[in-house]
Amino acid sequence: MALTVWASSTANALRISCASKPHLPLAFSFSRCFSTVLDGLKYASSHEWVKHDGSVATIGITDHAQDHLGEVVFVELPEPGVPVSQGKGFGAVESVKATSDVNSPISGEVVEVNSKLTEAPGLINSSPYEEGWMIKVKPSSPSELESLMGSKEYTKFCEEEDASH
Amino acid sequence: MRGPLKLEVWKMGFVNYLEALKLQEKLVSDRKLCRIPDTLLSLQHPPTYTLGKRRTDHNLLIPESELKNIGAELHYTQRGGDITFHGPHQAILYPIISLREMGLGARNYVEKLESTMIELSSLYGVKACAGKKCETGVWVGERKIGAIGVRISSGITSHGLAFNIDPELEYFKHIVPCGITDKEVTSLRRETSTALPSEEVIQEQLISCFARLFGYNTVVQKENPSILSDHEEIA
Repeated sequence: MALTVWASSTANALRISCASKPHLPLAFSFSRCFSTVLDGLKYASSHEWVKHDGSVATIGITDHAQDHLGEVVFVELPEPGVPVSQGKGFGAVESVKATSDVNSPISGEVVEVNSKLTEAPGLINSSPYEEGWMIKVKPSSPSELESLMGSKEYTKFCEEEDASH
Repeated sequence: MRGPLKLEVWKMGFVNYLEALKLQEKLVSDRKLCRIPDTLLSLQHPPTYTLGKRRTDHNLLIPESELKNIGAELHYTQRGGDITFHGPHQAILYPIISLREMGLGARNYVEKLESTMIELSSLYGVKACAGKKCETGVWVGERKIGAIGVRISSGITSHGLAFNIDPELEYFKHIVPCGITDKEVTSLRRETSTALPSEEVIQEQLISCFARLFGYNTVVQKENPSILSDHEEIA
């Protein structure tokens, strides 16, 4: 895992796309742009992921998103207790002098935020699916998950988006 | 490959900062709903200091109360980046474009904005380059000639770039520009020995560089661009 983190940070510093990360223990699939996409998560077209675990859903941005953003230097997160709506912004990240809104893939109530991101915003780059998680939400409409993409669909979506430029 | 890319350019002349901000908010909303094509605002501001989302006001070196005395305003914004100054003779571009439709991420977008200013500088024999890591912007040696600060909301951009043609550089002494100490700010006037044409020509060249770098094959100019709606008036 340490080697993966190092490689990712170096890649970001050199501003090249991250190579695929075969060391991760979880199942994954590759996109042509070599960003990691994990099975078992659901994905929004605005490049956020959600992991539904019983009564709590964890949300963050994808490897594809962090790669396209560049080095994250600042993260703005909501307070616990705040409601979120599917497709609406809940926070923002800043990288390369650009603030980018982050949208929630599902509706619900924020129950926890990742306070580590205040001191270490780069966790979003080095570990977008694990240590770089952003908020945990109590979902209000679990059926919303069905409208999101699975890993294969999201991989294809990224490929098509990157091919269009 | 995608179909033809259209850009609509609004040449707005001199615009108050808040008015330009309100206009951008409206245009971003219209662009999200696909009511308008990719749009580019070209303008200049009266003396204005602005802060980004991180609110780094420790980089303003004079008290806010002093700003009126030097004829400047201060505004807090949601854009990325640190404190900066905008003023007369500084060419500003605010692209309101859909990055998703272009397949661009924030990093590539900002790199293209840097390239836009680098290309313009080269027209006057000035060798500018992009900043190193953490120093986004355009530099001539150790001197900064162009600044960038952007907001991306659901894939639609606002704010943009500011290129120093010949602004009053004294205004930059009241801030730590972009939060970077020990680096100077410069202008096209200072860096080139070529005689400069009118600012209108330079701004037009900046627009052309932008359009070419972003691959727009149709560029139209909006007739009578105005910050006003039909029923408003400027006070």
